[in-house]
Amino acid sequence: MVTNLIPALDPAPIPGPVWLFHVLWVVTFLLHMLFVNVVLGGSLLATFAGSGRRGLQSFFVNANSWAISFAITFGIAPLLFVQVLYGRFFYTATILVAGSWLGMLGLLTLGYYLNYLAKFRLQKDQGPGLALPVAALCFVLISVIQVMVNLLHLQPSRWEGVWTQAAHALADPTFVPRWLHFLLASLAMAGALAAYVAVRRSRSEGQTPELADMARFGVKVALYTTVVQLVVGFWLLLALPSPVLSGFMKGGAATTLPLGLGILAGIGLLVVLAQIREPLAEATKVRRVMEFLVGAVVLMIVTRHQLREVYLAEWKPLEGAQVAPQWGVFLVFLVTFVVGVALTVYAMFKAATDKPGAGEPAA
Amino acid sequence: MDYPLWIPGIGAGVLIGIVAIAHVLVSHFAVGGGIVMAVVETMAVKRQDQALRNLAKRTSLILILVSTVFGAISGVGIWVTIGLLHPVATSALIHSYVWGWATEWVFFILEVATALAYIATWEKVRPRTHLLLIWLYAFAAFMSLVIIQGIISFMLTPGKWLETHAFADGFFNPTYVPGLVLRTGICIFLAGAYMAFAALREQDEAARARLVRFLGAVQVVGILVAYGGYRWWEAALPESVRALFHSASPKLPALAATRHFLLWMLLVYLVFVLFALVAPKLQRWPVAAVALILAFAFFGGYERLREGARKPFIIRDYMFSNGVLVSEIATLNEEGVLSKAKWLTVGQPNDPLAKGRAVFKAECAMCHTQNGYLSIRKLVEPMDEDMLSGILATMKEEGEEYISGKYTHKGHVATENLDYPYMPPLVGTDEEVEALKAYLLSLKGTSVAEVRHGN
Repeated sequence: MVTNLIPALDPAPIPGPVWLFHVLWVVTFLLHMLFVNVVLGGSLLATFAGSGRRGLQSFFVNANSWAISFAITFGIAPLLFVQVLYGRFFYTATILVAGSWLGMLGLLTLGYYLNYLAKFRLQKDQGPGLALPVAALCFVLISVIQVMVNLLHLQPSRWEGVWTQAAHALADPTFVPRWLHFLLASLAMAGALAAYVAVRRSRSEGQTPELADMARFGVKVALYTTVVQLVVGFWLLLALPSPVLSGFMKGGAATTLPLGLGILAGIGLLVVLAQIREPLAEATKVRRVMEFLVGAVVLMIVTRHQLREVYLAEWKPLEGAQVAPQWGVFLVFLVTFVVGVALTVYAMFKAATDKPGAGEPAA
Repeated sequence: MDYPLWIPGIGAGVLIGIVAIAHVLVSHFAVGGGIVMAVVETMAVKRQDQALRNLAKRTSLILILVSTVFGAISGVGIWVTIGLLHPVATSALIHSYVWGWATEWVFFILEVATALAYIATWEKVRPRTHLLLIWLYAFAAFMSLVIIQGIISFMLTPGKWLETHAFADGFFNPTYVPGLVLRTGICIFLAGAYMAFAALREQDEAARARLVRFLGAVQVVGILVAYGGYRWWEAALPESVRALFHSASPKLPALAATRHFLLWMLLVYLVFVLFALVAPKLQRWPVAAVALILAFAFFGGYERLREGARKPFIIRDYMFSNGVLVSEIATLNEEGVLSKAKWLTVGQPNDPLAKGRAVFKAECAMCHTQNGYLSIRKLVEPMDEDMLSGILATMKEEGEEYISGKYTHKGHVATENLDYPYMPPLVGTDEEVEALKAYLLSLKGTSVAEVRHGN
C-alpha cells in the first residue's frame, strides 16, 4: 500500500550521470548551508546579545543583508538537484505540508525585510526594536519547516498518516534532535564567526573593550552550544530507526569515516574552544575554531546526504530510471560556472580594493 | 496526477497567477533596471552629468531591495508553488532543463553579488569599478532572461522537441526569439517608467526636464521593441493556438478581448510617453503613475494571453493542465484515471459518489473550484442528466482526436475538430465517467439543500 502511494518515476530520463548530480547537490548544499548558518545563528545571536553589544548586533544585521540573499540564491541549486533525483519523494513531502511549505515564503519575506528595518534603525543609532527578534523567529520557523519536510521525504511510510492528520508531520522521534542539531550548529557557527571577525577587526582598530567582549561572547556561545551538540548528536544517532542506523553502519568506511571524522572535528573544536581565555590575544586558536567548525559542517553534510540514501534505499528510489546525459548543455553550465565565479570574484575584489586616491573622483 | 492533490481555497490558477505576476513584474524590472541604470551611469561619467548620476543613485536602492530581495524570494516562490500544484509538470521540466536552470543560477549569483556591491560602493570606489559592477549586473540579469525565456516559451510552443525530446529543439523553439525581443522591450519600458519617478525628484528644473525627456525616449524604444516582438510572437504561433484568440471567430472570446485590451493599453501608454517627451516640463507624478499602470496593464495582459493560449495544456501538445500526458490517454481510458491518481482515494469510502469526487479532483479541480473561480456547481446547475451525459461523452471522444492527431507545424490537433478546445479531454473508464456524472449531479442537489438549510 505504501509503495503504491509513491508516485511513478518521471518518464523522462535523468539528463546526466547520477553521481554527478550527487556531487553537485552536496557541494551546492554546503555553500547554501554556510550562509544559512550565519543567517539563523547570527539573527539569534544578535537578538540575545542584548543592547550592550551594539557592535555584534550591527555586524550580524549588516552581514545578513548579504547573507540572506546568498542563502536563498545558493539554495536554488540543491533545490534543482533534489528534484532531478528524488523529485517524487520531495514533491509529495511538500504537498503533504503544503500550507507550511508555502508559508515559508511569507516568513522569508518578512524576515528579510525586518532585517533591513533593523539595519536602518541601527544605522540611525536606534535599537533594533522588535524587528530583530521577529526576524530571528521567522528564520527559526523556517528551519522547523525545512527539517519537517526533509524527514518526511525520507519516509514514505509516514505519508498516509500525515495526509489524514497533518499534525503527524512533526511526530517523528528524530525530529527534535535533528532540528536541535541544526540549530546548535548555526549558533556555534555564528559565535565562532563573531569571535573571528572581532579578532580581524582588532588588527586594524586595536583591541578595544567592545571587540574583546564580542570575541569572548562569540567563543562562549560556540563553546556552550558545542557541548550540548555532542549530547544532541548522539541523541539523534540513537533516535534513528534501527534499520537506518544499522544500514548506515553497514556502509563501512564510506559512511562511518565521514561521521567519525565529523565527531572528531566536533571534539577538536570543543578542546580548542575550552582553551581560549582571551580570544583577541589568541588569534591562531580562533582561526582553528573556524577551521574545525567548517570541517565539521562539511563532514556532517556528507553524512546527512549518505543518511538520505540509507533511508530511501528501502524504496529503491531510482530503480528503472533511464539516464541520457545532455553533455553539451552540461558543458555550457560548466563553462558558465567557471567564468561566472571568476567574474564574481574579480568584481568583488575590485569593489573592495579600487578605492579612489586623495582628490580623485569617486563613483 | 499520482501525487496528493492540494488546491488552495482561492484555486490553483489564482495562486500561481498571484505569485507569478509578482515575480515577472519584479524580475523584468530588475533586468530593465540593470540595463537602463548602466546606460545612465555611463553617460553620467562620460558627460560629468551630476543629474544623471543622482538618477542612477536614487534608483539603485530600490533596485536592490526589490530585485535581490523580492525577486529572489518570489523566484523561489514560483518553484514552491508549481511544485505543490503541478509536481508532474515541474518534474518534466526539471528533467529536460535542469542544466539550463543551473546555468541561470550561476547568473543569479553574479547578479546578486554585483547588485549588493553596487549599492554598497557609491562614493567608495573609482567610477570605472562602479560601472563594471552595474554592467556585470545588467549582463547577468539579462542572461537570466535569455535562459528562462527558453523554458517559458517551450511550454507554449515546444516545436520539434515533441519529436526529438532534445534540449536545443525545445529551448530554441518557434516563439523563443520573438518572445525574448518582446520581453526585452518590456524590461526597458518598465525600468524607464519606474525611473521617471526618481527623475521627478530632481530639484533643478532644467535638469529634471532633461531626465524626463531622456526616460521618455527610453520608454519609446522599449514600447517599439515590445510591439515588434509582440507581432512577431503572434506570427510565430501555430495556427491552432492563434485560432483560440486571433481569428475571425476566436475559440476563446475572453482571450481575444485580452488581446485587444493589451494592444490598446500599449497605444495609450505610448501617447502618455510621447506627451512626456514633447512637454517634459509639464510632467507630474500622476501622469507618470498612469503611464506605469498602463505599462503594467500591457505586460499583465500579455502574460494572461500567453498562459491562456496554452489551454488546455501545461506543456502544449504534451501534457494537459491536469497532468495527464497526451501519450497516456488510451492507457487511462483502459485502466482508469484512479489507477494513477491513487492518493485521491486514500481514506475515502468506496462508493460511486466518492469515486466521482476523486475523478473530479484528478481531472477538473486544477482549473475548476466547487463554488469560487470557474465554479463547477454554477456550470452544472442549468444542466439535466442527459445534457451532462452528452457533454461528458463528447469530452471523452475528444481524447481520440488527441490520440490520432499528428503533430504538424500547425499544432498537434486541428482545433476546429474539437468542441472544447480549451479543456483537456475526459479520460477514464466508463464506470469512472458515470461516477463523475453522479458526483456532478449531486452538486446541484446539495446547492438546493444548502439553500433550504440556510433558510
